[in-house]
Amino acid sequence: MSAITVLGLILLILMILVGGKAGAQSFLALLLNFGLLFLAIVLVAFHFSPLIVTLVVGMLVLALTIFMSSGDDLSSMVAFIASAVVLVALVCLIVPVEQWGLVQGFGPEDSEDLEGLSVLVGINFVQVTTATAILSTLGAIAEAAMAIAAGLSEILQQHPQVPVSDLYREGILVGKQIIGTTFNTLFFGFFGGFLALFIWFTGVHYSFGEIFNDKIFVSEILMILFAMVSVILTVPITTWVMTRAVSRQRRHPAKSTDDR
Amino acid sequence: MQFLKTRSGRIWMWALTLVLGGLLVWGTQHDAALYHDPIMRVTNVQTGKRTTMTDDFQNKDTQTTQTLTGHILNGPHRGRKLTISNSYSQSRAMDQRYRRGSQLFVVIHSHSRQQLTATAKDLKRDTTLVFMIWLVVGLLLLILQFSGFMAFLSVAANGVLFYVAILINGSTQGAQVLWIFGSLAVVFAALTLWLVIGANRQMLITFATTIGGTTLALVMGLLVFHFTHERGVTYESMQYVTQLPRPLFLAETLLGSLGAVMDESTDIISSLFALKRERPELTAGQVFKSGRQIGSTIMGPLINVLFFIFVADTFPMAMLFLKNGNSWGYTFTMNMSLGVVQSLISGIGIVLAVPLASYLASRFMGKQVIK
Repeated sequence: MSAITVLGLILLILMILVGGKAGAQSFLALLLNFGLLFLAIVLVAFHFSPLIVTLVVGMLVLALTIFMSSGDDLSSMVAFIASAVVLVALVCLIVPVEQWGLVQGFGPEDSEDLEGLSVLVGINFVQVTTATAILSTLGAIAEAAMAIAAGLSEILQQHPQVPVSDLYREGILVGKQIIGTTFNTLFFGFFGGFLALFIWFTGVHYSFGEIFNDKIFVSEILMILFAMVSVILTVPITTWVMTRAVSRQRRHPAKSTDDR
Repeated sequence: MQFLKTRSGRIWMWALTLVLGGLLVWGTQHDAALYHDPIMRVTNVQTGKRTTMTDDFQNKDTQTTQTLTGHILNGPHRGRKLTISNSYSQSRAMDQRYRRGSQLFVVIHSHSRQQLTATAKDLKRDTTLVFMIWLVVGLLLLILQFSGFMAFLSVAANGVLFYVAILINGSTQGAQVLWIFGSLAVVFAALTLWLVIGANRQMLITFATTIGGTTLALVMGLLVFHFTHERGVTYESMQYVTQLPRPLFLAETLLGSLGAVMDESTDIISSLFALKRERPELTAGQVFKSGRQIGSTIMGPLINVLFFIFVADTFPMAMLFLKNGNSWGYTFTMNMSLGVVQSLISGIGIVLAVPLASYLASRFMGKQVIK
């Protein structure tokens, strides 16, 4: 058996041991997300528009991640709507910035890996790199939206009549608690991935000027910054969606989804 | 610090960031004098003829030439006019289509008095970079205020540490990469948790969980590597490798899982401390059970975060492999398998941290919690 199979099995067993049915579901969501990501790559290789593929796949990934993990109906719904709004807002930011920075495709550092490959494949790499940046933030958006929605839903459970204006302040408070650690997940996640590249820069003695204008470096740093923007935006947007959902529920109590 | 918590302090801080950042962004537009390499600003672009070409795999692409006119902004040739020709493809994977107003680095070939000849090297990107950093800091201060500032501070501090570690690694020729980044991970965790939680018992428990979870994940990964003889772990597909790939890969995995495990144990343990404060009568067993419940809802999404960070990054290269007539299986092995292995090892750490955090919190929370 290959190392991937064994590691995957161990993860599955551990997730079931720790989380029970919810753990098995999360593992399934992970597998499906991998399938979706691979599907996106194949579709783009078949000349579907990278941006449209990313938007559709992105929405599916958010839905899968959020609805397949154990949250109550209200917080899952709120988290999904909020993360979808954040995704759209992020696309509006990433597309112009990628056009401006022109960090698409590959740099001179990649030449060894590109040996024997034809790069003139007729697919716009500005769009491919934009798609990459969007996809890499999906997990972070879903996680942040779920955390804030769950926090707010807990407050609602304990104080069902909390005024909507207070709820907004509570949402920002929950956001303040999660932002510090979420940033660290992003920082270490990305820097763990780029360690080899950074060692390359110091090993080959790039000057600071060369590093700060290097295509690959700027592309990677932009990805971290996009992810950070998306997490920051998730805080007020999730809170806003939650306050709307709650005030609607209070106006039409008969239509409320559960017994709260 | 206290000043920042008042209303007017926040407004001042925000205005200051706005103005300073704006000045910095403006400054990078005019910082050509700081660079050693000649920089040219494009004032006119003329698009020439376009030719179509087909490669061995029936991929059609076009090649377009453009003539760029502009002047040099720095160095001994400052102010001189320059005309260079450049060509770009439709895919633009390795070339650039420059626009009017772009600033680009050029390589000057002849220094004759009458005529300068040069070729375009690459775009100047510092303005884009500084603008995005400004946007992140501005949003942080606007929406999350003081906590946003602290979050930024911890990221900046970790960035500096990270840079120092890379320098140390360089001076040892990469022989000790795993030890350097392993000990760095401990410092990272201690510093970050101290900034986020403060120096108290809660921080100590979170710290122990973070280190424990990450170590367990790495040990588990190494055991699996040992028994499967690393089948399917294609170190040769690692990018940008300048030193022995195996320890480098392990160091990358270690750093990647550290952040997520820290995130998770902070969440679980702070919830458990809050719970104990509200209901001091809870037994250790009950606390453990709640911890497991909180943990099992957040572990899935967290593994997902890392998965997308590690694997989405391989999109361009994987697509290129597919377009060059490679099979899906080979494309996966050569591009995505390492990212998947990293996500799986980190995932194991994230899952194991749940019982670990719950156990340590339930045992060592003590009576100090009750105020």
